[in-house]
Amino acid sequence: MLEFDGLHKSFGDNGVLDGVTFSVTPGSMFGFCGSNGAGKTTSMRIAMGLVRPDAGEVRWHGRPLDQDVRRRIGYMPEERGLYPKMKVGEQVSYFARLHGLDGAAATKASDEWIERLGLGARRGDAVEKLSLGNQQRVQLAAALVSRPEVLILDEPFSGLDPIGVDSLAEALLGQARDGVPVVFSSHQLDLVERLCDSVGILARGRMVATGTVDELRRRETGRLLRVVVPDSAPEWATGLTGVRVVSERAGDTVLELADGADDQAVLAAALRTGRVTHFAWQQPSLTELFREAVAVPTAEEMAA
Amino acid sequence: MSEPRTLGTAALVRLVAKREILARIRDKNFIISSIVIIVLLVGSLALQVALDSGTEESRIGLVGDTPGLEQALQAQGDALDVDVTVVGLPDEGAARTAIEDEDVDSALVVDGGSYELLVQESASGSLEAVVQGAVSQLSVAEQLAEAGISELDVPSVPVTALDPDADQNSQRVVAAVIGAGLLYGLLILFGQFIAQGVVEEKSSRVVELLLATMKPWQLLTGKILGLGVLGLAQIVVIAVVGVAGAIAFDIVDIPGDLIGTAVSVVLWFVLAYAFYAAIFAVAASLVSRQEDLGTVLMPTTLVLVAAFVVGIQASSDPGGTLARVTSLVPGLSPLVMPVRQAAGEVPVWEVALAVVLMLAAIGLIVRLGGRIYAGALLRTGGKLKMREALAAERA
Repeated sequence: MLEFDGLHKSFGDNGVLDGVTFSVTPGSMFGFCGSNGAGKTTSMRIAMGLVRPDAGEVRWHGRPLDQDVRRRIGYMPEERGLYPKMKVGEQVSYFARLHGLDGAAATKASDEWIERLGLGARRGDAVEKLSLGNQQRVQLAAALVSRPEVLILDEPFSGLDPIGVDSLAEALLGQARDGVPVVFSSHQLDLVERLCDSVGILARGRMVATGTVDELRRRETGRLLRVVVPDSAPEWATGLTGVRVVSERAGDTVLELADGADDQAVLAAALRTGRVTHFAWQQPSLTELFREAVAVPTAEEMAA
Repeated sequence: MSEPRTLGTAALVRLVAKREILARIRDKNFIISSIVIIVLLVGSLALQVALDSGTEESRIGLVGDTPGLEQALQAQGDALDVDVTVVGLPDEGAARTAIEDEDVDSALVVDGGSYELLVQESASGSLEAVVQGAVSQLSVAEQLAEAGISELDVPSVPVTALDPDADQNSQRVVAAVIGAGLLYGLLILFGQFIAQGVVEEKSSRVVELLLATMKPWQLLTGKILGLGVLGLAQIVVIAVVGVAGAIAFDIVDIPGDLIGTAVSVVLWFVLAYAFYAAIFAVAASLVSRQEDLGTVLMPTTLVLVAAFVVGIQASSDPGGTLARVTSLVPGLSPLVMPVRQAAGEVPVWEVALAVVLMLAAIGLIVRLGGRIYAGALLRTGGKLKMREALAAERA
């Protein structure tokens, strides 16, 4: 179990993290979402020992991360970092050696990963000669080459074309299948929704939602109802008890029902105004969940 | 496939050092600078040889058989520093042909008691002096013999040199000044290499990946050692080529002195390198872009320039207050002390004190600088103040 436990950090007067807590089970993928500046990068940098937290710690198998454990983590920083003038193959094998592989094993693993990520032909080129997308692949190879026990990747998908996204996603799923916990941050929420077993949404230095996408959905489901009545009278739903109109456009209405509001009464009202072609609870996408979570301070937060 | 293992400090430092060496020896600038230094060195040796071989040569044709004249010409040549070769010729005609063909520079025709010197255009002063001296000596000897005086008591003049070491001393000093110049050049060169390497890691952010596997001081040590091995190899090669060349071309009188000076320059290089490399690395860690390097390196570079200037000055006044004081000051001592040692006697305790002070300074810089370096590495954007870096290290 990889645990981020109660991380606090402020830079001067600027509080960045205010109790970030979540855990990732081995073999699962954790998508780390949050607006820009929410504290995702800082959390990851704390895990890698690049920033010292004011309070809290990150543990792997119950043991706080130290230099030795960190050497078993594959890390991809937000601002990519490679030696620009070093050759691709040598670079990847150098990082393998820094992570503890011996010379022969490092060369072998480096060759394998370069081949797998489709960079075989560029092995002898200096990194600075590669396109940004290919540099990104080298970066990933550097993170994966030492067969890490844990993967922490900051925005691994940014800047990749759809093919690159697919091959990276495939590589990460493969790692997760091998039992490696994978934490990655991303703004591409559809991707997070597709890949991740669980999701954490960070806002203003706090985790405002954690759980599987389904769990998050269940929290939101039962609240939004979509009713389509093509020839409805305008504002047919206003005035129903416990119902708020979220949007109404050409007979397509989204309603938010308060706890205890009667959905059957809504259906009856809809039937009264015209022929109902669609009546269903909304399955919010992660993007909608995200907007919801990030926009409104939660009750907990208000209390804090 | 073997399992990844935990790396100790030595293994990490070795990996970093190896990367530095490999990256540098493939760098065109490094290769070119190394070749240029060796070429300059060999060139200056060759120039020295060319200037030294300034002794005049003269081929003198001799017509007519006069016993003792050839020996007299040779002896006069030796005395006047002219390398005389005497060629026997059958007659005056042959002599004229030989001069026209430039087989000989001149020809001395002896006919009984009369002498004639044939030359192409005019006789140089030294040629005339050689021939005139030889002929006079011979004829004086003959006339004395005719007068019945066979043995002449000529007092010989013993020579007493007031400063017999002066010549060797000046050779040692020249070697030491060249050595100090070399130290200066190599320190600037390798200081730049270190500084550029630090900024490259910082600006490319690769340092984040590195620091996830090692501590800042391990990275710093690896970088300094790796480039240090290269620098040491370079100065040893230069010293060996220089000393061997000087001995082979017979430029120096006492090879032992030169070797001693070369060894002391190499040993001082090790201390100076550790000192300046650490300062350059720490200074470089304060900036994030290569363009900003000049500003942070300037003060240290100026200290090096000052040390070099004082070192040159010490060669003319090795016992002066300035030379004595600066040869003890850490940072200045590596460029001043070897020159002083070469130019005159330096008490052993002064050398020992200079070394101890230098070692203490290195220890201090590595400790304090290591903390600044650690604090500054992950702070990018703009130029950091040393105090901020120290504060960041504690945060």
